[in-house]
Amino acid sequence: MDLGIRHFVYRHFVAEARPPTVDEIAREFNLARTEAEAAVERLHQHHLLFLEPGTTDIRIANPFSAIPTDYQVRVGPRAYWANCAWDMLGIPAALHTDAVIEAVYTDTREWTTITISSGELQPAAGVVHFPLPVRQWYDDLILT
Amino acid sequence: MLLFRSEENIDRWCAETKMPRGVALGLDQLWQLSKLWYSDRLSPDFAGRTAAQVEAIFEKVGLTATFWRLS
Repeated sequence: MDLGIRHFVYRHFVAEARPPTVDEIAREFNLARTEAEAAVERLHQHHLLFLEPGTTDIRIANPFSAIPTDYQVRVGPRAYWANCAWDMLGIPAALHTDAVIEAVYTDTREWTTITISSGELQPAAGVVHFPLPVRQWYDDLILT
Repeated sequence: MLLFRSEENIDRWCAETKMPRGVALGLDQLWQLSKLWYSDRLSPDFAGRTAAQVEAIFEKVGLTATFWRLS
């Protein structure tokens, strides 16, 4: 059941560029709201999605973000928010599609455009900083 | 993970903000990593990865330093 809900969250993100609410999950799976809340909390505990702290609102289903960020990924008519500079490339990788990415350099606050075309990254300037070693990623996902 | 113009700017930004200085990847390497990391994320069967599977993905794109290891 929980993996089915996880997949529904991703399908919803792809189709609507936002995660489903707990009420929408409950409706989809004919669950009580409390059952849907418990399911998303279990998925959060297993790092299969991440909730807004203190709530059952889905904030992250990597690489998708429910809130605006410095990384917007355009795929056809849809625009998605990526969680971070890695996830801006993760969205076209997950969707197996080309994309046009609008991103902000953290150091200069300038916008840049990064393009995936015919499955290839087109030449673009920049480096992505991973501040924490892998074993610490889930200590503070927002910082990471 | 944040996007910067250069490694030098990462050094400066980390010093100014007192953020930890980690490792920087070029966009080409990160695109290769992203394809391995995320290609199966929309699969109904995706249920996370073991530490060994995570490390194997990093190794495929040449990331073998302790920074990239879970074990």
